[in-house]
Amino acid sequence: MGIVEAAHNVRVIGREGERGTIVLAHGFGTDQSVWKHLVPHLVEDYRVVLFDNMGAGTTNPDYFDFDRYATLEGYALDLLAILEELRIGPCILVGHSVSAVIGAIASISRPDLFTKIVMLSASPRYLNEADYFGGFEQEDLDQLFDAMRSNFKAWVSGFAPLAVGGDMDSVAVQEFSRTLFNIRPDIALSVAQTIFQSDLRSILGYVSVPCHILQSSKDLAVPVVVSEYLHQNLGGESIVEVMSSEGHLPQLSSPDIVIPVLLRHIRYDIAV
Amino acid sequence: MREIRSPSHVLLASILPLQFDLPFPFRRNPNSFKINTRFHLLRSILPPSSYRSIRSRCGAQSMAAGAAASATHVHDLPEPILAQVFSLVEDVRTRNAMALACRRWRGLERSTRTALALRGHVRLPFLLPTCFPSVAHLDLSFLSPWGHHPFLSSHQQQQHHHDFPDDHAALVAARLAQAFPSVSSLSVYARDPSVIAALAPLWPKLRSARLVRWHQRPPNLPHGADLAPLLEACPALSALDLSQFYCWTEDVPPALHQYPLTAASLTRLDLLCPASNEGYRSSELAVITAACRNLTHLLLPCVFNPRCIEFVGDDDLLALASACPCLSLLHLVDPATLSPARIDSDANEDAAITGSGLEGLFTRLPHLEDLALDLCHNVRDTGPALEALGNKCSKVKSLKLGHFHGVCHGLWQHLDGVSVNGHLESLSIKSSPDLTDSSLATIARGCQRLSRLEIHKCHKVTAAGIKKLASKLRSTLVDVAISGCQLLNATSALRALEPIRDRIERLHIDCIWASSELDQLPVEEEESDPEEDDMEAPDHSRSKRCRYAQANDVESFESASFWFRTWERLRRLSLWIPAGEVLTPLGDAGLECCPQLEDICIKVEGDCRLCPKPRPIVFGLSFLSRYPTLRKMKLDCGEAIGYALTAPAGHMDLSLWERFYLHGIGGLIGLYELDYWPPQDREVNQRSLSLPAVGLLQMCSSLRKLFIHGTAHEHFMRFFLDIPVLRDVQLREDYYPAPENDMSTEMRVDSCSRFESALNDRRIPD
Repeated sequence: MGIVEAAHNVRVIGREGERGTIVLAHGFGTDQSVWKHLVPHLVEDYRVVLFDNMGAGTTNPDYFDFDRYATLEGYALDLLAILEELRIGPCILVGHSVSAVIGAIASISRPDLFTKIVMLSASPRYLNEADYFGGFEQEDLDQLFDAMRSNFKAWVSGFAPLAVGGDMDSVAVQEFSRTLFNIRPDIALSVAQTIFQSDLRSILGYVSVPCHILQSSKDLAVPVVVSEYLHQNLGGESIVEVMSSEGHLPQLSSPDIVIPVLLRHIRYDIAV
Repeated sequence: MREIRSPSHVLLASILPLQFDLPFPFRRNPNSFKINTRFHLLRSILPPSSYRSIRSRCGAQSMAAGAAASATHVHDLPEPILAQVFSLVEDVRTRNAMALACRRWRGLERSTRTALALRGHVRLPFLLPTCFPSVAHLDLSFLSPWGHHPFLSSHQQQQHHHDFPDDHAALVAARLAQAFPSVSSLSVYARDPSVIAALAPLWPKLRSARLVRWHQRPPNLPHGADLAPLLEACPALSALDLSQFYCWTEDVPPALHQYPLTAASLTRLDLLCPASNEGYRSSELAVITAACRNLTHLLLPCVFNPRCIEFVGDDDLLALASACPCLSLLHLVDPATLSPARIDSDANEDAAITGSGLEGLFTRLPHLEDLALDLCHNVRDTGPALEALGNKCSKVKSLKLGHFHGVCHGLWQHLDGVSVNGHLESLSIKSSPDLTDSSLATIARGCQRLSRLEIHKCHKVTAAGIKKLASKLRSTLVDVAISGCQLLNATSALRALEPIRDRIERLHIDCIWASSELDQLPVEEEESDPEEDDMEAPDHSRSKRCRYAQANDVESFESASFWFRTWERLRRLSLWIPAGEVLTPLGDAGLECCPQLEDICIKVEGDCRLCPKPRPIVFGLSFLSRYPTLRKMKLDCGEAIGYALTAPAGHMDLSLWERFYLHGIGGLIGLYELDYWPPQDREVNQRSLSLPAVGLLQMCSSLRKLFIHGTAHEHFMRFFLDIPVLRDVQLREDYYPAPENDMSTEMRVDSCSRFESALNDRRIPD
């Protein structure tokens, strides 16, 4: 097992069938276990690759390079490295939250590696702007960053942090911070800044791989209009499905609704 | 163990007087051996009373003898006697301290150690300790990472970069056999049969085995495949404990049937596994009892539900009694009673067990000492049967009855029902709808040796009844558990125990606070009456009580401050508290001062999803800092249910609930050992430690042992490294189903190993 695989806790399961390979990429604050409800449905037909993003709770914190992961490109390079290392040909990427966007970035440089990307609760930009509704106001974020900084200070001074998102006013921030606070405080701060500074709206047009955009009807971190925005602006084909689930982690909180939808989008391509 | 101990007690009795006269010559090397340790040594050897007297005598003696050095030394004792003394010390830390005294002591300690629980992770077979040749009880069930046997079963490890080939497993097994040649009792985490298949043949003379498994049973195994290697390799097995081993009820009977010789040698069989919610059916019960005819101890869950096919009824009990006539301990329970959560079974249906059937059972089991029949279906008119129990089985000391009607009527002056069992020392009555105060009074008159009493969901019992019982049994009763009784809240239960307040050692109550329950107001009135009661007053009628009630209403408020009294001997306290409630009213309820309290167990149960945000934002663990000797705590939020990851707007997710519950734990200065069950999200089977929980736990600076019964991220675990004296940390997913390694656990083998090496690399301050 190579370094990349070991560092990312890469696991390959399922049999290699003619239906190809699926890569499952988790979002921030979680790890590959968010896919536990989905995986049993896939292992019969597909080869399934699971991995942890750097900075997730299960990875070695010493490997987290603050410069590399200051932008989402760092994560995209990781994803490409894993695919290279495993010599995976064209695959289906199922990305949750930020990982969906990371997949999109990776697919711009290597479109040959991806047959399609299934995006679950993805957003190219979280901040509201004059002509764009991302769901977060700058004040909300300032509050979030303040909480994270105090958390970080507490951590540096030897006390484990205690602040948690639920104390904050904005419900959207609460939703987001829930996952962010699962990461080590210094990493969480860096990650939060990376996520909220990211603005991928300009590169969406370069994505040529077909994208299936899946979205909870009630996701406080990602408003429904964002999925419409993605649909309008992605360079390749795309399709949107809004599910009746709630929350930013619908594959965990309401698997009954989400898993069948996910499977449908994995099995069938967009009809032309 | 028994065989070794009883003769040695005789021997010890002959040497002890000699030893007391020794002026404890450990003084010769005072630096290497703490003075207190010798008292520990004695404490573990002697009964508490004599220990105390010796300690007080020696305190004076050693001061006086300080100047006049004595010529007699403990080393003058003949080696075999010293070895015998060593072998009677049981406490592990004391033993470790003794081993540090000098080389000779270390040698003695090592050679007399009989029980060893291995921890850690055996990476190299040659690092196994070989210095404990006489270990008879080997516990391998707590190896870290918990729930794995990386050095034994190779196939789990194929995913990881350090593959263990099969011959490696064989090598480790051989090393184990070499290092511990005299093992007679083995505990092991057996996630799949290969573990037992590798271990069992090493010790063919194994007498006792305990298997542990909280993970799912591998679904494609044939029935009984888990047990077959053990039963095959160890024909002399006499005790089999599967109380923490998840398997199907279909597994045990065929395995026992297949190895009749081993089954016949079994005397103790424990199948009460809380992980399984299935009971044994009548045919399975018949197979088990037919195979194991020499059983003296049998504990198993049965299907008592008369709606199920092959339910257990009178005939099956009689068949059981005829098949195993030597039974002295019999626990037959409904599987639902084993679940960690409280069940709301107000069953209206009757079980197929009748009084006459029970009488037949008791007649055929004359050696019965400990009986538990904990059902979830009603058993009617059991009074005569329980009287028969008293007559037929005169040795019965412990009794546990669930859903029994007519346990004791207590209507007249004569003793009836369970109160006829005069030798009873422990009595537990659960869900008996017609148990009244007068029944308790009759029980107190009849069972005068009662030291333990548990009452659960007996809705007619009031504080007056408990109080009367407590005052009558003042000289014996030391362990009381009152739970789920509608007419007894925390305050009234504590008041009812007032007569034995200075004697009681163990106590369980439900933290139902009076103010929160409006419908409990009439109870308040009633309970104020016994204060005026003369303790020795004869039974008096309800009407009289009601007259008192009105008059004393005001007084109960005045007496609030009156109740700040000392629970002098209380050592263990167990509390059950509904989710969302706080702990702080405990002081007002009467548990203000417990100078001896060492061990507290708090169980939180309920659905946090339905709770509003709690007003006072802390649960109130800091309240416990008023108990000066508190050393051990179990905080079980495992049955508190909430949203793990995405909580709907307006609700708190589990991390906030954990913060609520753990806040103030850093204020418990003497806390030494903590067992913590994080709250869970059932939907995703997640019981994971969250950031605030870690932060708050980290503030317990005196913590030495920490067991998390759930999962955690690696970087969260790393926060624990800031606790200076922490030595022993383990994640134990001992709930069913334990998260399978492959997908859902946050803590993987590698991260666990990294954490443990970091923990062990630290300098040990003591």
